[in-house]
Amino acid sequence: MIKIFIDEQQVEVEEGMTVLKAAERAGIHIPHLCYHPAFPPEGSCRMCLVEIEGFPKLELACSTVVKEDMKISIKSARVVEARKAVLEFLLAEHPLDCPICDKAGDCKLQDYYDEYGLFESKFSETKEKREKKLKIGKTLILDQERCILCTRCVRFLKEVTKTQELGVFHRGIDAEVNIYEGAAVLNNYTGNLAQICPVGAITDEDFRFKTRSWFLKEGESICPLCSRGCNILIEYHPGFPRFEVPRRAYRIKARENPEVNGFWVCDRGKYGYSYLEEGRADKIILNKIEGKDVLTWENISEYLGEKIKRVSSAKKTSGIALVLHTWLSNEELFLIHKIFRKGLKVKKIFFADLPQGEADEYLLTSETSPNRRGAQEIGFDIKAVNLDALAKGTDFLLAFGPFLSGLFSLKALKEVLSKVKRKVLISSYLNEVNSLFDIVIPAALIAEKEGSLTNVDGVIQSFKPALEPPGESLPEWKVLADLGKELGTDSKLFEDLNSPGAILGEMGKEIPFFKKK
Amino acid sequence: MIKALGYFIEIIRGILITTRHFVVNLFFHILKVLGIKTKRKGAVTIQYPEQKKEVASRHRSLHRLMTRKDGKPRCVACMLCVTVCPSECIYVEAAEDPDLEIQKYPAKFIIDLGRCCFCGFCVEACPEDAIRMDTGNVDFAEYSQQDLIYDLDKLIG
Amino acid sequence: MTETLTEMLIIFIKIVCALVWFLLLTLYLTWLERKESALIQDRLGANRASIFGIRIIGLFQPFADAIKMIFKEDFVPSFSRKFLHTIAPFISFFFVAITIAAIPFGDILRIGNRTINLQILDFNVGLLFVLAMLSLGIYGIILSGWASNNRYTLTGGLRGVAQVISYEVALGLSLIGLIMVYPSLRLSSIVLYQGELLFGFLPKWGIFLQPLGFLVFMFAALAETKRVPFDLPEGESEIIGFFTEYSGLKWGLFMMTDFMEIIIVSTLLTTLFFGGWQVPWLASDGFHFPWGGELMLPHLVVVLLQVAAFNIKVFFFCWLQILIRWTYPRFRYDQVMDLGWKLLVPLSLVNIIGTGIIMTI
Ligand code: SF4
Ligand code: SF4
Ligand code: SF4
Ligand code: SF4
Ligand code: FES
Repeated sequence: MIKIFIDEQQVEVEEGMTVLKAAERAGIHIPHLCYHPAFPPEGSCRMCLVEIEGFPKLELACSTVVKEDMKISIKSARVVEARKAVLEFLLAEHPLDCPICDKAGDCKLQDYYDEYGLFESKFSETKEKREKKLKIGKTLILDQERCILCTRCVRFLKEVTKTQELGVFHRGIDAEVNIYEGAAVLNNYTGNLAQICPVGAITDEDFRFKTRSWFLKEGESICPLCSRGCNILIEYHPGFPRFEVPRRAYRIKARENPEVNGFWVCDRGKYGYSYLEEGRADKIILNKIEGKDVLTWENISEYLGEKIKRVSSAKKTSGIALVLHTWLSNEELFLIHKIFRKGLKVKKIFFADLPQGEADEYLLTSETSPNRRGAQEIGFDIKAVNLDALAKGTDFLLAFGPFLSGLFSLKALKEVLSKVKRKVLISSYLNEVNSLFDIVIPAALIAEKEGSLTNVDGVIQSFKPALEPPGESLPEWKVLADLGKELGTDSKLFEDLNSPGAILGEMGKEIPFFKKK
Repeated sequence: MIKALGYFIEIIRGILITTRHFVVNLFFHILKVLGIKTKRKGAVTIQYPEQKKEVASRHRSLHRLMTRKDGKPRCVACMLCVTVCPSECIYVEAAEDPDLEIQKYPAKFIIDLGRCCFCGFCVEACPEDAIRMDTGNVDFAEYSQQDLIYDLDKLIG
Repeated sequence: MTETLTEMLIIFIKIVCALVWFLLLTLYLTWLERKESALIQDRLGANRASIFGIRIIGLFQPFADAIKMIFKEDFVPSFSRKFLHTIAPFISFFFVAITIAAIPFGDILRIGNRTINLQILDFNVGLLFVLAMLSLGIYGIILSGWASNNRYTLTGGLRGVAQVISYEVALGLSLIGLIMVYPSLRLSSIVLYQGELLFGFLPKWGIFLQPLGFLVFMFAALAETKRVPFDLPEGESEIIGFFTEYSGLKWGLFMMTDFMEIIIVSTLLTTLFFGGWQVPWLASDGFHFPWGGELMLPHLVVVLLQVAAFNIKVFFFCWLQILIRWTYPRFRYDQVMDLGWKLLVPLSLVNIIGTGIIMTI
């Protein structure tokens, strides 16, 4: 540990750090464009100039390493002047078409001009014409006029994906970022380019012109599309008071987590967010039900509890079958484990998940659901659904998730399920199998509820709701916790399990894997 | 006593003033009925629907969207007006224009005039001078709220 | 037998004519009020009401108003005393409307050998009758204010009654001098007396004999009509008054009562102080000018001239009252009371004494 002074403020930092990082660690922001924490410094934008005592010239904060008792000033007149000059040069060739630029609103160039620039342009020359709409791969569009040649994109493709599809060509005023001839940016991580480009040079067709970034709000969540569990930000539109907006979620951004995904998400996670809105169930569906004709969230667990009690007392628990999936959180799986496996001694538990997919060598895993590891750690034996075994002697079937329809034909399902007396489905989607069940209860998605997931490497990650669940949907853990109370197997315990946090605490007591480290 | 007298005089003066107005205006009205043209009129009234007053050039009246030379809207759907509008009564949906110089154009542009408070902020905010409130049209009352929701066609037309 | 029948027929025709005259004038007074105020204020006034696109400076406006008033909801508040609430405007209207019976429109019309008095009823206490009826109109005010069962209307009604009763004193006293001069309460004889000449050339009109009485009477009468500047019972724009809880036709009746009071006051001013139907120097056979010279006229022309003179005088006073209403701001309540009790009543007393002294001399 050494101490340095930034604008007279004393800061303790580790040896070998750059000035910029040291300042960041101390909560002081030094403007920068080309520096990205994921890569070694490049020093091409000159935005990070600072004055250091004893150095004749201004130095680059992003690449100067700190020394004991270094005195750095980031607000002196010289620095401010230099910053302004750098901005002026950057903007000299910049088209400033912010009104049609998707980056506007979270563009660093805009922000810095607002904070440090505010000059009248001295350039009367016409600006250089360049390619404004160059398709560089999958959904990416490059606007060379807006590019400030920070080479973040080039470095990303060199160091993260190692595919090197982009490069800087020519020299001087002709310098431009472009794809190598015949190549295109076609790897599984292209979506990150639009996010790391500090300006609007690389934009994404998936988001292009759909809305403006300042209307969007961010919600933190975890990507459920593979078992890596990348940390993401869901950017959603909270809606206008008088007009309907076409959708909720507008884009997914990577959220930094060095332990799991670094700064990145794969393209499946980035673009596959339609599951958040398409075909969502938002009302309790009652197909067949006796007695009470109104089921609400208040009395649903009472209803289920009564049915389950009746079956289990008449026929023992062999009359009950469960179909689960691994989009359920640790807490939910644990509650099921507690109520049905431990409490009611149910044997017929199956898992219906989507088939495995292709993995790549980096983040994407072959697993298509987020919590298989969690289910294993809790002690479930992950058996695929066997329809005959499922239906044999079953009076009450409680199924979770929409995936049954992807695994079996509707005809086969219908045939088998018609033998089961009472069937309840808890699912987030409107799906053809819904018609085969007596009751369908809408459930919240991972993005809409609280809980935790265990990723492929055994990292337990908690998440909070990023979006509102649609309509009547509620998280499964609530139904399960109520059901636990209703069945009364261990009612005193279930009294206390009224939040995912409490459930996770209880899990830690029972299963060493989930103990907090 | 003096004060009371002054009061009395003012009362008389008052009625003389109103009488004068009555007589003079009546005189000019009669001249008009007789077809005699005079510079002064019997009344300052503007007979509204038939006669209209010129609105001042800075008056904020019904919005219009400006067009380019080829008739396309000048608006680039930047949604700054949507953002600034205090009544939240503008809605814009952008679309891609094949012309590289334009790129972005409004596929939908809606102003709910039933909500608009005619503050003119949208005009101030627009970076393209695409929206103006200088039509001079101030009487666009409708019988239903729905008819006050103007779309692109109505705003350009 | 036939004689009584014809008499009745004649009375009936007189009643119809007088009422039609009265009501039409009331309607057009609303028009006059609009137009006169417009002229005073450099406006045009209501000019949109039209029949088949013909507008003629808004002359149809009173009918449009009447139609509107008839078809408006007749709203009776649930908390009001329904019967009294309903009857109040009719009381007001009735007592004003009936006063017209005592007003002489002209002298005597001779048709064949029958003489017709151009007055519905020639009471020997005509003047008292008119004053009494006007006083009874107060019941309409107090009943409407009270029956609406609303504290504001009640306050308005109380203000109205207090004002009208106060000014009634001055009104009555101001006429005593007049009665001393023309020793009769019969309105037709008062008019006849005014046909005589003073100093050989000046008509013996009340205004010349009783200038002070005239002033007091006029102010008191203005206050009786409850219009600006004495509109404390019902300030149209600001003060909540006694007919706040009325709508539609009943409200219209109150409004009409107001205008009818203007007419009655005008007819009284004309009859008592401006010679009624008298035209200066016109006798029943023609003009007899004081500087010598005569102009003989047929009987019918004389009668027409007299009726016309009466009408013109009445119109003038209506016009004058509207002019006053559009000129002055409203008095404060204490000022209204001060004016009545501290100025008009003493003045009328002075007038009585003065008249007495002059007459004895
Ligand atoms: S990159 Fe886009 S938003 Fe940023 S300054 Fe340039 S045009 Fe404006
Ligand atoms: S495209 Fe964006 S990230 Fe790439 S060099 Fe240009 S500004 Fe930097
Ligand atoms: S004038 Fe004001 S309220 Fe109306 S649309 Fe424009 S910004 Fe909105
Ligand atoms: S501010 Fe101007 S250019 Fe932008 S959306 Fe509104 S009208 Fe169009
Ligand atoms: S951030 Fe240091 S030069 Fe760009």
